[in-house]
Amino acid sequence: MDIKIAEQFMKKLIEKSSSYGFEEAEATFMNSSSMSVDILNGEVSSYERSSDQGVSFRGKINGQMGTASTTEFDDDAVDFLLKSALENIEVLNDEDEHFIYCDPEHAILKYEALSDSYAKNTYNKFAEIGLDLEKRILAIDPAVKGVDYLSIGCSTGPQLIINSKGLYAYKDDDCVTLYAGARAERDGVVKSGGYYWYGKDIDSFEPDIFVKELEKRLMGKLGATSYNSGTYDIVLGNEALISFIITFFGNFSGYSMMKGISLLAGKEGETIASPCFTLREDPNYDKALFKLPFDSEGVPTKAKAFIDHGVFNTALYNLRSAHMAGKESTGNGFKNGYKANVATSFTNLIVDPGTKSFDELCEIVGNGVYITELNGLHAGVNTISGDFSLFCEGFKIKNGKIDGAVEQITISDNFYSVLKKISEVGNDVIAEPHGEGEFFCPSVIIKDISVAGDGE
Amino acid sequence: MLTDSNISRILEAAMSKSCDFAEVFYEESTSRGVALLNGKVTSAGTNYDAGVGIRLMAGTNVVYVYSSDKDPEVLINLAKEAADALKGGSKADIMELQAKCFSTPNLINIDPMKVPKSDMVDFIKKASDYASSYNEMITQTTGSIATSNRIIRVYNTRGLNKEESQSRIRLSMEVIATKDGEKQTGRIAPGTMRGYEFINEYPILDKVAECCDSAIRMAGAGYAPSGKMPVILGNGFGGVIFHEACGHALEATSVGIKSSCFTDKIGERIASPIVNAFDNARIEGEWGSYMVDDEGNDSSNLQLIKDGICVNYLVDELGSRRMNMPATGCARRSNYSYAPTSRMSNTFIDKGTDKVDDIIADTEYGLYCTKLGGGSVDTATGEFNFAANEAFIVRNGKVCEPVRGATLIGKGQEVLMDIDRVADDLELSAGACGSISGSVPVTVGQPTIRVSSMLVGGRDSGEEA
Repeated sequence: MDIKIAEQFMKKLIEKSSSYGFEEAEATFMNSSSMSVDILNGEVSSYERSSDQGVSFRGKINGQMGTASTTEFDDDAVDFLLKSALENIEVLNDEDEHFIYCDPEHAILKYEALSDSYAKNTYNKFAEIGLDLEKRILAIDPAVKGVDYLSIGCSTGPQLIINSKGLYAYKDDDCVTLYAGARAERDGVVKSGGYYWYGKDIDSFEPDIFVKELEKRLMGKLGATSYNSGTYDIVLGNEALISFIITFFGNFSGYSMMKGISLLAGKEGETIASPCFTLREDPNYDKALFKLPFDSEGVPTKAKAFIDHGVFNTALYNLRSAHMAGKESTGNGFKNGYKANVATSFTNLIVDPGTKSFDELCEIVGNGVYITELNGLHAGVNTISGDFSLFCEGFKIKNGKIDGAVEQITISDNFYSVLKKISEVGNDVIAEPHGEGEFFCPSVIIKDISVAGDGE
Repeated sequence: MLTDSNISRILEAAMSKSCDFAEVFYEESTSRGVALLNGKVTSAGTNYDAGVGIRLMAGTNVVYVYSSDKDPEVLINLAKEAADALKGGSKADIMELQAKCFSTPNLINIDPMKVPKSDMVDFIKKASDYASSYNEMITQTTGSIATSNRIIRVYNTRGLNKEESQSRIRLSMEVIATKDGEKQTGRIAPGTMRGYEFINEYPILDKVAECCDSAIRMAGAGYAPSGKMPVILGNGFGGVIFHEACGHALEATSVGIKSSCFTDKIGERIASPIVNAFDNARIEGEWGSYMVDDEGNDSSNLQLIKDGICVNYLVDELGSRRMNMPATGCARRSNYSYAPTSRMSNTFIDKGTDKVDDIIADTEYGLYCTKLGGGSVDTATGEFNFAANEAFIVRNGKVCEPVRGATLIGKGQEVLMDIDRVADDLELSAGACGSISGSVPVTVGQPTIRVSSMLVGGRDSGEEA
């Protein structure tokens, strides 16, 4: 859909909202166009193309915010949105005020990062790359029995927010993603492993590097054994550390703190982590593919440290939670899709790297475990108390060197304790897409973690 | 408006090249709900979504296109583009659309979509107030009611023309108990395809009391032990282990490409002889039910495991082509933005003959998991992990102290063989299942069962049995 048609619809919606009694009003439009190619057994097994859009309305009366959304853009849809939002507002009695915002100095916000290379993302291009990649993966080793999932996709789509206070926030971006998952079998034992790539230009994808990384993640798992239960120092690998922090990151939300469901409440300014650990956010990080100069409430974002050398510096605030806490928004009010309410999310997260290489981290541990993957993160954790018991995969560390894969083990501890038990931060930074942006993170050493296994 | 005539034009456009099968899937859904935090209404929403998915097949090659734009000309062009992209196959005939066939799995007296939100608010408020006053350790309550109506219309080049209406209600309540800074949760989340009378009849205060008791108990519990031990899995949501560790590995999504640990196992023993398991999408009013799947095929009551022998897989149209087996009416998708694939509906281990008390009495030392949380599985390796939200130590045949933080890990194919007791207290429980065609409502279930040996990941050293 032409953005101009959406804009006209949104303006009509906002203009008419006052006749329904709304004091302030806002409309959010999102469009998504995507294309993907799946490869299986030497063929393009699936090709998908989509164009999807919707609009949401939120309107305020007496501090309460009514919301509704639709995929339609006609006059009936205007009345549906306004009537539904009004019906919703009638039952709301939230103690905490919601806000519709516009900073007069930043009323017009625009961010466009559409890539010239996007036009290259054709069916034929993706099919060619995918089919070649499948062959390369199968050639890693005779033990590789199948590439069960190989998908290359791209997406783009504008987002527009306008409100009755004068905000006009427009954003458009694009991205290419590739994921491959393969299966290997040796001595009757099957293992699976996958790897991903993302970027702006599919021509910058390097299959040799990708296949090497996938090989490590797949072949390295063969011959795995369990491990003796006990307490060990571990190297928590960069990918595992990212998933670990993301799982508990909701505790850094100002709203969770204000509502008493984060144990970080009241701890701003206190030491909550090891002095070697700094976790910060930079919406315009120069190494990041995605830049986020403003959030979904029209608030300009800014760089800040959440944990600065172990000290809890600030939580993440949107307009509502900031008002509750008597603070200013940190520019962390984001909507996960046009239908969603404004929640708290993050842009580019960075764990500041240390000076030690990954090999040096293993040497420091001496004898322990290197954890590469944490599984069941949506279930094996108590996000409030911080307790976790997680099924994981990785490798033994023997005399400072990697020594064979481990399987069927869990690690158990508490998130807040683990933050304080980080003894070294490595320099092996990787990036993964998370939240609204990316997460840049190295591996770390964590002391005295409880490992449960069935080793001999 | 997508008339049958327009649908025929879209199907013709889709079949204009080398396609042997084409399907149009129209979906419109309306959802409404309220959410309360500590008795205050913090959220109330209404959403309407509609869109169309067009799928073309040539052998096992698939092209799927979708759009929220329902203009017939836009969709015809989309179908033509899809036809251009499809490789292989041979041209097939298009059969004339049959007269539309309507169905619903609902059992409704009071239409949930017409219930005033204020009624929903009153219901949750009563539950929330009760929880808050239940015990001073209860420090927070959240609750919500979400209702939805989904109308699907499926048309294909074999002349299929079906429409189904699916209404669902999900009630969620969660309480947090705090003791010495430790916070534990208790939750219930029943779902139904019955009408709003389900909510009116639901024994909410009794259930909230159970939630509070569980949270309070767990807030004072010590850590679970580690190591291999017999594990008794309580009925109802305990079935999530079968769902994750075995059900997914029986779907054509993985069996059809031979990546599942249960590939080529029809007729072979994959479980202990006392295990019988079903996927039954036709249980009237049950949360995971449907009469017609998202490919327009009639759903079924499918036995997956009979006396420990694998007897059926869950097969969708694509799986049918890959496996040369008939489709079983199990194709599902979260919404029109996903191509359908083989999924579970109401999946459970059937009841056995044991009594729960006998199973406990016959267990010298082990873990009794009465409430399980979620988990995940790798269908290629069978490896799974699950969290126990509430668990107790069984010692000398008696249920003893509660323990927290237990994770159960293992391999599905081994655990199925190690089930040595199956009780007679079958219960089903609502959940949501995520897979490559998005999140779909499912029911998991089982009676109380015992696994003779399972690895428990806890924090304390276990005791010798």
